[in-house]
Amino acid sequence: MARLSLWKEGKHTNDYRFFDRRISEFMSISGTGVLLHKYLGPMPQTQGQPDQPANTNTSELNIQDLLFLENRDRKYEPDVYRLRGVYQVTDNSFDLSQFGLFLQTGTLFITFHINDMVGQLGRKIMNGDVLELEHLLDYHTLDPDLPAALKRFFVATDCTRASEGYGPSWWPHLWRVKISPLVDSQEYKDIINKIAISDDDNRPIRDIISSYNSYIQVNDAIIEQAEQDVPASGYDLTPIYHRSGDTDTPDFAVNSYMGSSVGAPNGANVVQGISFPQNPEIGDYCLRVDYLPNRLFRYNGTRWMAIEDKVRTNLTNAAEDNRTLRNTFINNDRVFTDVRGREQPEKQNLNDILKPRAD
Amino acid sequence: MDNYFYTGQVRRFLTQFIRMISNFQIRLGRDRDGISTLLRIPVYYGDSSRQVAAILAKNSENSLPAVPAMSTHITALRYDRARVQNPTHVSKMQIRERAYDPDSGSYSDLQGDLLTIERLMPVPYTITIALDIWTTNTDQKLQLIEQIGAIFNPSLEIQSTDAYVDWTSLSVITLTDINFSSRTVPVGPEDPIDVATLTFELPIWLSAPAKVKRQGVIHKIIASVYDPDGLDPKDDSFDITGSILATRQIYTPTNLNLVYLGNTLKLYVNDSEIEFNDGSVPAMREGDWHLAVRSFGELSGANQDLLQNGISQIRLYNDGIVVVGTVAYHPIDPTLLIFNVDLDTLPTNTMPPINAVIDPANLKPNPLITTPTLGTRFLILNPIGSDANTDSDPATIDGARIWNRLGQPQLIAVANDIIEWDGFKWTVAFDSQDIINIQSIQYVTNLNTGIQYKWKNQVWSKSVEGRYGVGAWSFVPT
Repeated sequence: MARLSLWKEGKHTNDYRFFDRRISEFMSISGTGVLLHKYLGPMPQTQGQPDQPANTNTSELNIQDLLFLENRDRKYEPDVYRLRGVYQVTDNSFDLSQFGLFLQTGTLFITFHINDMVGQLGRKIMNGDVLELEHLLDYHTLDPDLPAALKRFFVATDCTRASEGYGPSWWPHLWRVKISPLVDSQEYKDIINKIAISDDDNRPIRDIISSYNSYIQVNDAIIEQAEQDVPASGYDLTPIYHRSGDTDTPDFAVNSYMGSSVGAPNGANVVQGISFPQNPEIGDYCLRVDYLPNRLFRYNGTRWMAIEDKVRTNLTNAAEDNRTLRNTFINNDRVFTDVRGREQPEKQNLNDILKPRAD
Repeated sequence: MDNYFYTGQVRRFLTQFIRMISNFQIRLGRDRDGISTLLRIPVYYGDSSRQVAAILAKNSENSLPAVPAMSTHITALRYDRARVQNPTHVSKMQIRERAYDPDSGSYSDLQGDLLTIERLMPVPYTITIALDIWTTNTDQKLQLIEQIGAIFNPSLEIQSTDAYVDWTSLSVITLTDINFSSRTVPVGPEDPIDVATLTFELPIWLSAPAKVKRQGVIHKIIASVYDPDGLDPKDDSFDITGSILATRQIYTPTNLNLVYLGNTLKLYVNDSEIEFNDGSVPAMREGDWHLAVRSFGELSGANQDLLQNGISQIRLYNDGIVVVGTVAYHPIDPTLLIFNVDLDTLPTNTMPPINAVIDPANLKPNPLITTPTLGTRFLILNPIGSDANTDSDPATIDGARIWNRLGQPQLIAVANDIIEWDGFKWTVAFDSQDIINIQSIQYVTNLNTGIQYKWKNQVWSKSVEGRYGVGAWSFVPT
């Protein structure tokens, strides 16, 4: 009589299949529904570099950035796979241990039946796959105007065989996936920017599930307050009354670091233009807008005298009226015409300037 | 009295710092449509309360925190001993404000308050600020650090306000340190988010409230107190009410002039302190009565305007006479007040009224002239008669027939004289060339128009109408 052994020299025996079917049935009966967004690979990029290949094919084997070894722009299967998984429900809490982000500490371990998973996905669940736990749908958010209940997303961060998933024949039957709460980041925009809020609302789900818009509104409010406190750099001399010796139109500006009035001193009439007006009268002001910074002149009867430069400027980054030195380099849409008559952008990266260009 | 002040000085710097690092973007890779987009990075204060964080998360575990993001918070606030200056120093500024019209929400071209501002030496502090850059991959982090790092070389100016008098508003913020990553070895799979921390130093000053006072600087002295001959001011004649040794000093901060014409007072503004030797002043411009009245102050309550229509008074000082009238805002023209003069305050005539003002060189026949009654009087604008017209023939009339009668002396009068019919002939009733008259002030009413004229400095002019310069009029609210 042969010795009893459930291990058959590396073969999947009927014993294995028996246990595997029972475990699959158990997962089907007791598991919770998991919708899985399958990671397909990094998005193809049109301009490849040796360390950042274009990856014109879509494959999980591709790596977007070979220097930093990261896949930032991830492509996900538009179709969703419905799986069954089992996990131990735990209590989570929010973490503010480092200032700035309201993160959840909860990390879950959810197990899937390997053969069922592979049968559906074509592979095992891997890091970067996004899971939606259907039973954690939140119908009762603080905002009653939200058009839909909020879905609960996780991302797989670690995937191994589950220790409890080994059968008597020593073959593994379960896949243990460590999942962390998803964040609204570049990596997952192909999911949260592509899922519609509902059948009646085609906006992406990111609009309601992400805190991005809320924090942008907070940021905008702070900027607005800052612009009220300091509308422009330097000092506002508009409230200062200019005392002049013998004329209604003072021929001087109040001495101040980067200070100037709105218009002319004492709110006197001022003509704006790129040339001086004809037939001026003594005391007339002219703001030459072709000067940068704009320069205020006053006619003294014989010539136009410079009174002040309008050096004050909006300090908000990227504001249209931000005329700081830095901004002239960063937010620069100007072009020049080269010797071949082609328009070239003024704003160019230093490392690209002398590279050959196509005709 | 409240022993309290708070102006958010640290808060305003923090607000400006967030503004400084706002609106940065990162470029995302191409999506499935082949589009590469820019993503703006939100910046906010990191040390938020848990309640507000929960509100922003819609009180739901399912809400997704957005990354990348930048948060900032104060890590230290310390007294900066090295920047201490004289703690008891008080800096004084003399400020002229432009008048502000709260109705239009803008400044006018008039001078408003004159202020003396006393500022106590502020107290030096240094703030240390941490800027956390939350990213989910290295490329994002480098995109942000490259953009932010390029603007601090090593410092950037920062202002908490653009108020001209705030000497503590301007400071510099310096990037002092960068902690590139919050991760430590071994790196676990727990958190996909990495935090780079930039540390900034910001020297600031904390100020106590300033003292703001009405300006005490004398801008204009109309007349000197002492007689130029050096007479003893202790003399009995040193009498403020009528002495030649002492005259009143008039302080005119607003330099407002008015012109009384008809039943209106028109406001003019003179920005110049210069008054020429002949008493004239440089050209002026029209002013707004609403703003001018506001410079006198405001009342508390619903109607804050000091000028009460029909109740408030303007007083005009004219050669020792005070002409009083009630005023009201003109319904259309803000440069005008309607002036309802109190007739009892007008100057008293010093001579009988005249029937008309006439120009003998351009005269039409009129019964008043051809058949005058006793006491008919005219003020003439051109001379009548001449010694050259006298001849020796007693049967003829010397001079113009209309002014002379046979057998009567010829009428010889000059411009500005008043002539009168005495029943037989025209005579000069007021000789404008008489040495006594030249120095006198006379008032006479024209019966034809009802206008009273004043004779002063060898000129006839309307008695109370005309320009009233600074110090020659006053405003009485009630």
